[in-house]
Amino acid sequence: MSSRSREESLDLSIADQLDDEIASLRAQVESLKKELKIQTSTLMVSEPTRKLLQDRSKKRAVNSLDSGHVAELLKKSDEQVAHQQQCLYRSCASITSLKIRDPDPNAVDGGNVLGLRFEVMSKARFVRPYYVMLNRPYPNSRNLRVHRHTVPPCVPLAGLAARHLPAPKAKGGEADDDDEPQLEQDLPRFARALRRELVRYQNRIGIIGDLHKAAGLNNSQASERDSDAAIIQHISPADAEAKQISVEWSDGKAGRLIIDDDGRIVKMAVQGENGRDRGAVRELLGGNVRIEELMGQLEGT
Amino acid sequence: MARLSVPTTARLPSTLPVETSNSAVVKLLNRLSRPSLLSMVLDWLDPTNQSLCPPLLQSRDDDDDDFYPPAGSLEELREIYSDMQQRKGSKREVVDRIVEGDWRNGVTLYQLAMADIQYLYDHPGSLKWTAYKIQRLKTPSSEDAAEGPQKMDKESMPIPRFHPSTFVQNLQAEVLPDIKAHYNLDRPEGMPLWLLRIFILDSPYNTGLARAATSFDASRTVYIAFPDASPHVYLSNSQSTGATTTGESKSLRALIVEGIPKAMSRPRERYALRLAGHATRNLAELLHVKGAGRSNAAGGGWSIYAADDNRRTDSPLNPVLPTPPLSDEDAAENLAGSARKRRALSTKTTHDKYRQEAKQARLVAQARFGDSAKADDGKGIERVDILIEDAFPDGRRREGDAEDGGEDDSSSQQHKKTKGRKSGADLAFERSQDDDDADDARDWKPKVRLTFHGSHVFAGIRQLVEAGIVDGERMPGWMTGEEGVTIGAVRHGRIRGHKGSGL
Repeated sequence: MSSRSREESLDLSIADQLDDEIASLRAQVESLKKELKIQTSTLMVSEPTRKLLQDRSKKRAVNSLDSGHVAELLKKSDEQVAHQQQCLYRSCASITSLKIRDPDPNAVDGGNVLGLRFEVMSKARFVRPYYVMLNRPYPNSRNLRVHRHTVPPCVPLAGLAARHLPAPKAKGGEADDDDEPQLEQDLPRFARALRRELVRYQNRIGIIGDLHKAAGLNNSQASERDSDAAIIQHISPADAEAKQISVEWSDGKAGRLIIDDDGRIVKMAVQGENGRDRGAVRELLGGNVRIEELMGQLEGT
Repeated sequence: MARLSVPTTARLPSTLPVETSNSAVVKLLNRLSRPSLLSMVLDWLDPTNQSLCPPLLQSRDDDDDDFYPPAGSLEELREIYSDMQQRKGSKREVVDRIVEGDWRNGVTLYQLAMADIQYLYDHPGSLKWTAYKIQRLKTPSSEDAAEGPQKMDKESMPIPRFHPSTFVQNLQAEVLPDIKAHYNLDRPEGMPLWLLRIFILDSPYNTGLARAATSFDASRTVYIAFPDASPHVYLSNSQSTGATTTGESKSLRALIVEGIPKAMSRPRERYALRLAGHATRNLAELLHVKGAGRSNAAGGGWSIYAADDNRRTDSPLNPVLPTPPLSDEDAAENLAGSARKRRALSTKTTHDKYRQEAKQARLVAQARFGDSAKADDGKGIERVDILIEDAFPDGRRREGDAEDGGEDDSSSQQHKKTKGRKSGADLAFERSQDDDDADDARDWKPKVRLTFHGSHVFAGIRQLVEAGIVDGERMPGWMTGEEGVTIGAVRHGRIRGHKGSGL
């Protein structure tokens, strides 16, 4: 009886082992495939390869099959080069444009859509780009309008669009807006302003994360420090735009730190058990002007 | 209990007890299932909650004929309910114990609110939510301007901010003096939003007499949800279906709707609420379309730009040539099988043709819907109302339209939707495509209203496209759900009003 059960468990363990092995092999295959792709892409754009391919295609190989292959390879190589160039532009220029076709059959302007791609860095890597798609819905006018976008609502896209991409006045009616002059649209300024807002937002979010880390809140040993002095227990953004930061201490004090768009400290208030605690504010801010400078302060304590 | 009824302006305190003889109390508790009822009671018995929901504890041992003798201590009581959790039994048993035993002196408003919210968590589809957008108003420049109609400040840059306790305080100031309200803030698990439950008692007194006189029915409860980092507010529609209370509950709701923007406003910073044209029972979907993420103005096929998955690394430092989104999975297979495919096309056996068409339809659906509108994504909308305001197409195809049997014949020329009614609208779209700007008043414009019903409307449309019943390429954009509205009027084939932009 017992030997049988042992056998079963042995079988089971063998099956488990095999499963593990298969899984690890699969993972290996995946990583090798990935590697292959990267190597191929590097090889395809390298100068000698391209030269070789171009020479071959010029020579018109006798074998028709071979020439077909060469043409195909050359095409792929061209694509790869174009992609490389696009990546270069994207990583350096941070605002790039792209052409999109609106799949809606009733789309305005034949479905032509201009896409703006915003690259933003955060924590030393590119976050997924933000897109703004513009189309031309106004009759007899080449003015643009925001059609779709992937900008989070905490970035004031609508306000920026109203400032830099105002809608053209309808002729005749709409005497609603008094007698303001017809404003010109300025796409470059819109793009610049939007990018600025996006980067600022990302930076504010990033700096709050850094403060969190500097206060030792990411690891669990924080609570083991001597418990006499009140330590910061909680740091988080308190509003959508991440301009207000809520700070909580272990002794029940709660504070609000307000920064401006660019991360300069505007104001801070701390509410203790008996009214406002100005000492805690002084202790935390310590005459610093920028939010980044708090980092050293927090790390020191 | 106070002998005198003095009107007050304060909000109703959470500790205010309600007699258990009130039928509403038993009704509220009976709605819950036994497990959630028991876990809620154990929550009530938590030492930190004792000020809000004190049970009746034994002070001196008398009264031996009591059916539910009061427990000596909290721990004892907790044990009793934990025991109940262990063994099987009826819900009735628990409710009776609460009402006639441990809380026979009355349950507090806080407890009622908890029971109500618990029901909402257990049945997330029990309320219909309407989304409102919070918009900044222009600060009037002069006295005269202040009297005139309110103007939206389109160029405003700051995003409205929500601070729960300040909001509740301000809202109380806005509520009329002859109404008492009880507020309960809660943060549901797994959802980035604040849930505010407002219970309204239309009496200026907060004494037992006033409470006994009013019914505690659901029409007096309004839920407001404040999603994090999003300039939207979701308001629950009235829950009651009774004909007698609809008028009353509507006015109460209207009162709240009026009060919200005022409570959010600050000096020199006024806000107004605007209907966002989106109403659904699914809070998760609402958070997707009117929430804090990137997907607000990039629905349908545009969602591939907003998708936050790691599958497609979109970093400019990635040297690998991106495969087109449609062929991600079977890119290799595509390359290898391209020659084979060509052959398959040429042979044109019916089977292959169907397979080809099915694949084509799937690709089209992927192009139009992107990664959205999957049947199992939990973001279902149960109802979409569309009003077609386009002119009726001219007589060119009217005969075909008249005898619209509803069956799909495969004479591909006649592009039909699933049912006859849609066909007219469909032709209207074709027409609007032909001459976009001919907004002729003489044209006959029948009022065509389409209502889509189902557990997940857009997933259903996607399945129709995938099955080849709806022509995916000629399907109007609002059928993909990319506009993010559930109520809308269509003109020139597009949702009217915001011209498809998410601003």
